[in-house]
Amino acid sequence: MAFYDRMMQIDRRIIYLCMTLAVAIPLIVPIGMPVQVSDEARGFYDHIEDLEAGDIVLFSFDYEGDVMAELNPMSIAALRHLFRQGVRVVSVTMYAGGTGIAQDILEETAAEYGKEYGIDYVFLGYNPDWSGTILRLGESFKATYPADQFGKSTREIPLMQDVETYDDIALLVSIAGSALSEYWAIWAGGRYGVTVVSGNTAIQAILIYPYYNAGQIPGFLGGLKGAAEYERLVDIPGLGIKGMDAQSVAHLLMLSFIVIGNVGYFLSRRHERKLKEE
Amino acid sequence: MRSMKAVTSRPAAMYVPLSLLLFLIAFVLLCAQDVPASPARVRAADTPDDWGTCLRLTWSQAGPADQIETYEVWRYDGAAPALTIPTVAADSVDMLLKSLGWAVVDTVKITDTTFTDTGLDAGSDYTYIVAASFGATKLPSEPTVPVSPSKQYLRGATVNVLVAVAVFMALVVLLVEWARRGAKLFIRRIAGLEAVEEAVGRATEMGRPILYVPGLDPMDEVATVAAIDILGQVAKKAGEYETRLVCPNRDPIVMAVAQQVVRESYASVGKPHLYQDENVFYVTYSQFGYAAAVAAYMVRERPATNFFIGKFYAESLVLAETGNATGAIQIAGTDSDAQLPFFISACDYTLIGEELYAGAVYLSRRPLLLGALKAQDYAKIIILVAMVLGIIIPMLSPEFFETYRSLFG
Amino acid sequence: MKRQGPVVVAFIIGMLMLIQFFTPNPFFLRLYNLFLDWKQVVLGCTLILGTWSLIRYHTRRIGRRQQNWQYSYVTLIGLAFMVLAALIWKTEGGPYRWMFQNIQVPMQATMFSLLAFYVASASYRAFRARTFAATLLLIAGALVMLGRVPVGALIGGNIGGHEVTVSTIADWILNVPNLAAKRGIMIGVGLGMTATAIKIILGIETTYLGKSD
Repeated sequence: MAFYDRMMQIDRRIIYLCMTLAVAIPLIVPIGMPVQVSDEARGFYDHIEDLEAGDIVLFSFDYEGDVMAELNPMSIAALRHLFRQGVRVVSVTMYAGGTGIAQDILEETAAEYGKEYGIDYVFLGYNPDWSGTILRLGESFKATYPADQFGKSTREIPLMQDVETYDDIALLVSIAGSALSEYWAIWAGGRYGVTVVSGNTAIQAILIYPYYNAGQIPGFLGGLKGAAEYERLVDIPGLGIKGMDAQSVAHLLMLSFIVIGNVGYFLSRRHERKLKEE
Repeated sequence: MRSMKAVTSRPAAMYVPLSLLLFLIAFVLLCAQDVPASPARVRAADTPDDWGTCLRLTWSQAGPADQIETYEVWRYDGAAPALTIPTVAADSVDMLLKSLGWAVVDTVKITDTTFTDTGLDAGSDYTYIVAASFGATKLPSEPTVPVSPSKQYLRGATVNVLVAVAVFMALVVLLVEWARRGAKLFIRRIAGLEAVEEAVGRATEMGRPILYVPGLDPMDEVATVAAIDILGQVAKKAGEYETRLVCPNRDPIVMAVAQQVVRESYASVGKPHLYQDENVFYVTYSQFGYAAAVAAYMVRERPATNFFIGKFYAESLVLAETGNATGAIQIAGTDSDAQLPFFISACDYTLIGEELYAGAVYLSRRPLLLGALKAQDYAKIIILVAMVLGIIIPMLSPEFFETYRSLFG
Repeated sequence: MKRQGPVVVAFIIGMLMLIQFFTPNPFFLRLYNLFLDWKQVVLGCTLILGTWSLIRYHTRRIGRRQQNWQYSYVTLIGLAFMVLAALIWKTEGGPYRWMFQNIQVPMQATMFSLLAFYVASASYRAFRARTFAATLLLIAGALVMLGRVPVGALIGGNIGGHEVTVSTIADWILNVPNLAAKRGIMIGVGLGMTATAIKIILGIETTYLGKSD
């Protein structure tokens, strides 16, 4: 096999091994890449920064363990920002696997800022019906969630006395690994007029641009880079900024393989043309 | 001769009281600027798009807001008589208003200058006062003119949607009727759907099964409805060739519907005995658990043909790459834009967006469905024309022409 | 009746839900809330259906000694143990929480992390400049890949008073051509969804009954 054919047919296992090293080494030996803040992340930040102490935010953990590496950093940073502002948080999740993640993050960040459950934040838990839940919340929070995640009646929770419908919500934050951010924007934002900002995986973030440009989602965080930008803005470095080095090296590695493959392709075509001429 | 002193002191004596008076006026004016005033321009209006149960109040902040603590909204049920409030002491104002039949509706933060009163009766008159409250002082506004809430039977904000839905429904009904009467309706060639026959034939020749993944969303998702439609057509072809068709499902309701569709498809080609429950089964609701199970099946059984039709998320690349590695011919179709690049790079044919919805129509050529598909095309033409007009018409305005001229001289 | 009944129900409820969107009449609002509550109940019941289907499928596999039937035992034992753990020790702590945090979440994250490898091998294979369109795809893909990491902001400079870096080019690609294509697809998909919904309401589409033709 000619060398240019080898360039076009590199064994997958070699690619996988190189990718493993490209991600692992920068995590162990950080490089310290600078992070520039985008307009989209700034929009997300500004909407939380403009909230006042005592305002109520609906925070939806719309993801499970599979994408938590990408979305946990932005959830943690956003909750820290909210608690620092003195904002009260009503939290839900649309995924069964999201309950444990939401509980852990809420408890940890609330403890950092001395927040009390039931007064400063509440976790209403999981509901399987996406469209029904989002629409029903517009009519009544307590009817949609008669009890919180721990079985306590929402009529007895102090924070829930100030929340009945979306009219009582100053902002809706959706951290999603799926199209749920779009559904919040369409159903909650479109029908009930609540402002929605979102944090999404890098793949999903690309789909948010039409909503961002139309003003339906005035700010969003895209992938781990979005999390890093937000950590830069709130000045609380976390896993987002740490992950940027690994992501940069991994992308450069992929580009290298693409270049190698294309060089091999052009060399093989040149060789074929020479053979034809002969 | 008069004393010079007497002559010069007379003008000075006039200036002193004048200066004092000016000073007093300035002092009063300065102090007045620091004192809050009653809310001004208080207006009550019917809330749009409701059933006549709400009225909306607006007013202007009066004076420096940092001294005001709250706004109180007072309501009189009916047309209130003329009102004079001679005091600003909060207790006295409260007593006077209550004695005249007014009642407090709510207390509002000083940052708000709007309020929506709910629970009212349509057609009844209501009058409002907004009072700025600070310390022991209350400054009520002038009463509003009486306003009555009215019922709206149609939400004004949805009129454009109603027109669009009505036009579209009319198009669907007309074109379905037209198709039912035998009109020939053209659909362009879709490569992915043309390849279905070839893909099923390949599986038959190789003696290996066909894998059909109907997406990850539940039955209320349109892409899943389209996927099950196409499953029916693929199952018919598989039945004709007596090729095993395997359909793992993430959602139990989709599984139930898929079982029924496959059973009926086999029966319609005279092969009901081919249907087996274990070929159309439920895996797990976990996204990546499902992806892992399907990928493992592909590696073990090495199906000759893979169909990925429906709504997919991040697992799409796992499925497509694994299938590619096993050497199967792969036909994908999804309306999830984010997953299209992965399917395009790893699959042989990909149905993009609407082509998925056209799938079952294309394969079955049922007149009813064909008519509805053509209605979509005509609706798209209407939208395109509206978009083009929306670009051209503003360009004909004098303001746009002025801007254009100033930019390019 | 077996076929017509559900179609009639779908028509009535579909039309009611459509009407309630356009009118603020409290009667339709009450119906709307009622249907949403019913939908949640039905969805809760589907979990039972799914669990039953899973148990039946794996017990059959064990009974018929199909290929790798031993793994069906793992599935059934895992299912039973998680349910018992949640009932006995609740979900806030104990074995349930431990298994969730130390088994399920790492497994899910591991499966998702496979994408990093698959993306690398898929892009290596797919991004070949075979045609003009493929070359455009290659260039756009490369720019966006670089632009979405901090490295992209370091490549480029000030040109004619404007900051032109790989990141700004990637932003332009996402905000202009990507957005245009996405909007076009969205309009088409939106029309397709509306058409399918109308077909279901009018009884033209009956796939949900398990009837394919």
